[in-house]
Amino acid sequence: MEFKDYYQVLGVTKTATAEEIKKAYRKLARKFHPDVSKEPEAEQRMQEVNEAKAVLSDPEKRLAYDQLAQQYRSGQDFQPPPDWDSGFEFSGRGFEEADLGEFSDFFANLFGQGGRAGGGGRRYQMRGEDRHAKINIDLTDAFHGASRTITLQVPQVDPQGRVISREHSLSVRIPKGIKAGQHIRLSGQGSPGVGGGPAGDLYLEIHFTSDSRYRVEGRDVYQKVPVTPWEAALGASIETPTPSGVVKLKVPAGSQTGRRLRLKGRGIPGQEPGDLYVELEVVLPPADTDKARELYQTMAQELAFDPRQRKGG
Amino acid sequence: MAQRIISGELIDEATLTLEDLARACSVEIDWVVERIESGLLADGSPYVASWRFTSRDLTRARRMCQLERDFEAAPELAALATDLIEENQRLRDRLRAAGLATD
Repeated sequence: MEFKDYYQVLGVTKTATAEEIKKAYRKLARKFHPDVSKEPEAEQRMQEVNEAKAVLSDPEKRLAYDQLAQQYRSGQDFQPPPDWDSGFEFSGRGFEEADLGEFSDFFANLFGQGGRAGGGGRRYQMRGEDRHAKINIDLTDAFHGASRTITLQVPQVDPQGRVISREHSLSVRIPKGIKAGQHIRLSGQGSPGVGGGPAGDLYLEIHFTSDSRYRVEGRDVYQKVPVTPWEAALGASIETPTPSGVVKLKVPAGSQTGRRLRLKGRGIPGQEPGDLYVELEVVLPPADTDKARELYQTMAQELAFDPRQRKGG
Repeated sequence: MAQRIISGELIDEATLTLEDLARACSVEIDWVVERIESGLLADGSPYVASWRFTSRDLTRARRMCQLERDFEAAPELAALATDLIEENQRLRDRLRAAGLATD
């Protein structure tokens, strides 16, 4: 475990006032806000920033951390000395298990329930916090349903009373018909309860893995299908792969690139299933043989066609 | 080792209760009620007992809660920023669906 320099994370000096810490935090919270940030690893940075703020904006924790920090540099290998926090009383709202799950091992070791000398001893019962995670699935999973294994970090107290982070794998059924942005609630898979209280729930937010073949809007799916010039011009019955399998498609005569055909109810399934929009893309055969060149020349001579000619002259 | 496959509940249209939503956002029930009463979080029904929330409400409430906490923002300001983020996402989705990816 590496020692974390929380002052460095927030970009403030060790003598920073509470107001300066707050200001630095807000600036970084804006910079790494998950909805707007284009910074790489924004989510991870935001987690560090939250963690640094949680310690430095609490006078008691900051004091305890400062005393410890005198002996360590950022990145240095670190194990909390026994009774490192003796003499400190962390009052106020403690950190919930859910917070610990989102913070680093370093933080959990210092400020987790089990990491405190003389900590624990809570007698009351409390339901565990709900937790949240995002998962990426393939679009085809929404058509057919699937099961996915996800791995989460769960804080746990080890026999020595320290808070450690444990990997928790879950196999989850992805129901058919799920949309991007929708949640699956897994009862009792959130943070454990306190004093025998029930565990919280785990909410999984669904996102689709980016797939260059398909574009999705709600339950509607868009895909491009390449066709030959003669299929587009003369009309044809073609077979094309779609997320729900291969379908037969009638290309109307006189089609052009960009023509959209709607396959009603062939989008993501549901009570009101979405539609599949197939966008035709006319692809020209290469003129790379004598025969092909000859055919193009015949067309050039026989067809009075000028795509640049304006209507009405 | 063969793992048991867990089936969850799909949060579709109007599934979460007021208590569910508050708990999922780690806020007090009053936090949600105040924001519904001031029109910042949507619910059409005048009867609290029949309030139900969707996946979209959950995402919105969590976003507002985070903005209020991170920036000590007034609820109205957090809701305004959330409106803009949602609008931005809707437009991005439409651009993507039209084949004009923005990123």
